[in-house]
Amino acid sequence: MATSTIQNTDTVPLPPPDAEVLTTACGYCIVACSYKVYRWPVGREGGMAADQNALGVDFPSASGSWISPAQHNIGMHEGRPHHMVVIPDPDADVVNRNGNHSVRGGTLAQKIYNPNTPTRDRLKYPMVRIAGVLTPVSWDLATDVMAAVSKHVLKTKGEHAWGMKTYSYEYFENTYAISKLVNRAIGTPVYAPHDKPQNAEDAAGLDDAGLNSFAASYEDWGKCDVAFLSGVDPYETKTVLFTEWMMYGENPDKKMIFVTPHRTMGVEYGLKNGGLWLPVTPGTDTALHLALAKIIIDNGWQDQEFIDKWVNNKWEIESGFGRGTRNTRWQWRTTWGRWQSDWEDYQKFISNEKAAELSEAAAITGLDADLIEATAEMIAKPRQDGSRPKTSFMLEKGNYWSNNYMNTASLAALGLFCGAGNRPGQVISRGGGHQRGGMSAGGGKGWLSPEKYPGRRKKALNVDRWVMDGNVSFMWTIGLTWFAAMLSSQELSSRVADLTVRNPHHPRNLNRDHLIETLTKRVDSGGMVLVNSDIYPVEPLNTQYADIVLPAAGWGEVDFARCNAERRLRLYAKFNDAPGEAKPDWWAISRFAQKMGFKGFDWEESNDIFEEAARHSRGGVLNYYALAVHAKREGKKAHEKLRDLGTTGIQTPIRVIDGQLVGTKRLHDPDNDWGEIEDVTTDQKWLYAFGTHTGKANLLKTPWTNDSWSDFYAAIQPRPDKGEIWITNGRVNEVWQSGFDDLRKPYLAKRWPWSHIVIHPDDAAPHGIESGDLVEGFNDTVYVQTGKPIGVKDKELSFTELMNSGHIKTVTGQFVAVAIVSDEIRPGVAKAAFNYPGSMANAVCHAVPDPVTGNYRYKLGRGVLRRIGESTYKKNFLEMSLKPRPIA
Amino acid sequence: MTDLQTAPGAAEPKRMCFNRRDFLILGGAAVTVLATYGEGAQAQQLVTSSYARKVIGKLSGLRPGVAVPFNYPTDDIENILVMLNEEAGAGVGEDRNIVAFNTVCPHMGGYMDASVFKPEYSVLGPCPLHLSTFDLTKHGMIVSGHSTASLPQIALELDGDDIVATGAMGLFYGYSRNPSGA
Repeated sequence: MATSTIQNTDTVPLPPPDAEVLTTACGYCIVACSYKVYRWPVGREGGMAADQNALGVDFPSASGSWISPAQHNIGMHEGRPHHMVVIPDPDADVVNRNGNHSVRGGTLAQKIYNPNTPTRDRLKYPMVRIAGVLTPVSWDLATDVMAAVSKHVLKTKGEHAWGMKTYSYEYFENTYAISKLVNRAIGTPVYAPHDKPQNAEDAAGLDDAGLNSFAASYEDWGKCDVAFLSGVDPYETKTVLFTEWMMYGENPDKKMIFVTPHRTMGVEYGLKNGGLWLPVTPGTDTALHLALAKIIIDNGWQDQEFIDKWVNNKWEIESGFGRGTRNTRWQWRTTWGRWQSDWEDYQKFISNEKAAELSEAAAITGLDADLIEATAEMIAKPRQDGSRPKTSFMLEKGNYWSNNYMNTASLAALGLFCGAGNRPGQVISRGGGHQRGGMSAGGGKGWLSPEKYPGRRKKALNVDRWVMDGNVSFMWTIGLTWFAAMLSSQELSSRVADLTVRNPHHPRNLNRDHLIETLTKRVDSGGMVLVNSDIYPVEPLNTQYADIVLPAAGWGEVDFARCNAERRLRLYAKFNDAPGEAKPDWWAISRFAQKMGFKGFDWEESNDIFEEAARHSRGGVLNYYALAVHAKREGKKAHEKLRDLGTTGIQTPIRVIDGQLVGTKRLHDPDNDWGEIEDVTTDQKWLYAFGTHTGKANLLKTPWTNDSWSDFYAAIQPRPDKGEIWITNGRVNEVWQSGFDDLRKPYLAKRWPWSHIVIHPDDAAPHGIESGDLVEGFNDTVYVQTGKPIGVKDKELSFTELMNSGHIKTVTGQFVAVAIVSDEIRPGVAKAAFNYPGSMANAVCHAVPDPVTGNYRYKLGRGVLRRIGESTYKKNFLEMSLKPRPIA
Repeated sequence: MTDLQTAPGAAEPKRMCFNRRDFLILGGAAVTVLATYGEGAQAQQLVTSSYARKVIGKLSGLRPGVAVPFNYPTDDIENILVMLNEEAGAGVGEDRNIVAFNTVCPHMGGYMDASVFKPEYSVLGPCPLHLSTFDLTKHGMIVSGHSTASLPQIALELDGDDIVATGAMGLFYGYSRNPSGA
């Protein structure tokens, strides 16, 4: 195992033929490649001949089966040290065929707890902060205190003062337990997943159109002729989807169109292979989509047959709603005059929409008009023989985290015009971020949210704002960075510090009564008791602020299940012991809930929850109920039935055909109509039609100028007189999210030992910034929404009205990163690493949500760049390559 | 930064040429200090068991930006020798810019010969299979891509006009144990 800075390893142990083999999947990005774990006791090794090792290949191997030194570790199994080799499954025939992998998954073995490595700082015991210092305690004492304070909060302040913010994805078993506690036991609306301030849709424009965000299979991205990739380079963030399916796949000659200000390696590959790069000005994608739609419609390139068959007309849209309140989000939006449309209406709209005119769109987006025209031709123009290119549309954060509703709704419309959405190679789908590990127990209490859309319609609660306004007395956070992931990060972090460490009431010893009494005084004085569960120290959330810290057991330490971007469900097997007293989060929930007196939380193992949750999966796209029922009939545990399916797993929704479990490749596809519903199969219209009341898609129009966007966008523009530029942010291939594991993997830690920011030479030169310099990004005007506005009339949640009513305050934000000066980025835009510990690039972004959806505009930061000096990486040869990313 | 030529223990390079039997006789305690890197607190020592010494090129025959293939430590293992336009980790020569690296991508074994060397960036790649690139100034560190290790670097010394390969840093793709060539 390489632990020195210079790699000096020239050997790796081979698993002997009798090594145990377990299956799992990568724990990081949504692609979820298949992995195998080889485990055997220390003290012996396999040999280089094929019959002497468990891989069954001769070494040196030319077969593709190889073990990199980063794929070996020594961990504990049943209390005894074992060799553990974690390699991409060389036999995989789905996802990462033949053992393809990313550098993230390829280094999974380095995440195994081993006190000889940087993983030694894993959280091992429950801790309580005593006089500022985290002090080990028992699970019993920690959960006693949590329950006593929670009971006091619920009794004296009610469920709105008790909140949770947790990952949305960390396996069905954990998220089901969390949701059962939040929704059914506590019954609070104060809940948000890790990536949002509120519990609502990510890409609402897609949902409203009737498109499930994860309708596609990886095969579709391989099969398409043209891939329109909006706000994403899958090479960077969904690596094996790109390197296995998009570069190769059924049609390796596909053309790729990238809409992103950053020319990363995938973009460079696309350009080299006949594709296009549209370096769009941040936030302007909607204008691009409108211009493309207009060119397509003006030339008659739309897929008319598809539109006629699959898009709702005016009467079909209206038909579903009767005379009800139109109180739910999608009902309100799709029938509100601003967005509601249909084919007839859209043609009128687009012919009168100024932003759709080519010259205007070019000015708004900062793109050459020729490039926009070339894009329209590539995605929609029928060939000479009349056949159409199979175009698929992928969107990710650069699209929907910059102008949330309009970008997603306009992309959905554009895709539908091109005949995409429900056919092989013609899909409209998210690429995805985290894996699909969310499983709800139902019974959500969102309707208790005090926030309302115009017309007093239901709106999810913004938990960040609710906390900042001092309304939360007990907050339990699980597996997230919170501040760095949200916006105006420093303001949020500072407010949480006010409510916790800067409150005068802090325990001074471990006496149970003293702990409860002191933290109750905290609550009664207007402060907040903060609990955090994680696997590592997280700065500053649990290192500085949390009163109670609970050690979690995660990937590889407990049997878990979840799906990937193509809804492929697999068992993530336990293969090593969690350190110390670390327990899975469901276990912590279970112990806490039982002390609260709640029934139905007495699970003994994670399979108990997997089986219980199956019933609740039936209504959704992650439906695995049939698997659980069949397992029971066979007298085996549902986890074991899933384990039998190995690294292939099965794509949900799972159905029964001729007595066999059958997966679902693609949603909305009419070829999914398999006749009679058999056994415990759940019939859903969206399996073979779009997810609307009619089964046809909703077309939505998106006027560029409106009061939910234009005034905000004008206010947050970089101000030339101050020397500001856009400061956006994004992920990089070699770092997964906050780098929680990567910074403890020696090789990846030296690749990116500190946060970076890519700056165009034109923007760097005035400040004398060179590659390797430390740079501060600083925004002296960061807008933060405050209070709990209730919309009665249409305009009340617009930026202008919020400003007028005193619900916008102004703060500052900054972060420091190492400059990479390169013309790979659009001039006037710098791109910082997202969520890097100690460098919160989101601090320069505005915590004012899209009033249509409640989601933040995360990618629209701005600020000045200020040179601090040289970083240690500028002139050393050991760490942090400063070379450009797109070298091809 | 200490040049390889003056690294401790390298003053009489020919004596450092242990064969595998010598290494075993010495009980594994004998290691050759090939180089030190970095400055002050960052200084690192690379230690390795003995590899064969092999003359792989002539200093007078090198031209900046032109990669020269050679095999080391065995005839099965192909590498390239390059004179970069900038100083590099473990670089030898007056400008410390002469380095050598293995040509097989440690991701999945893609072959990266001299034709994918990018002298303007001092980068090898992209790998034709999945586009990984490697920074030859930083010991073959991944720039962008999927390799879970740096590209194995061949340690070099100068002996007059001779460029001598003396060891390898990193496990070659496909191997469970590097051959020493001795």
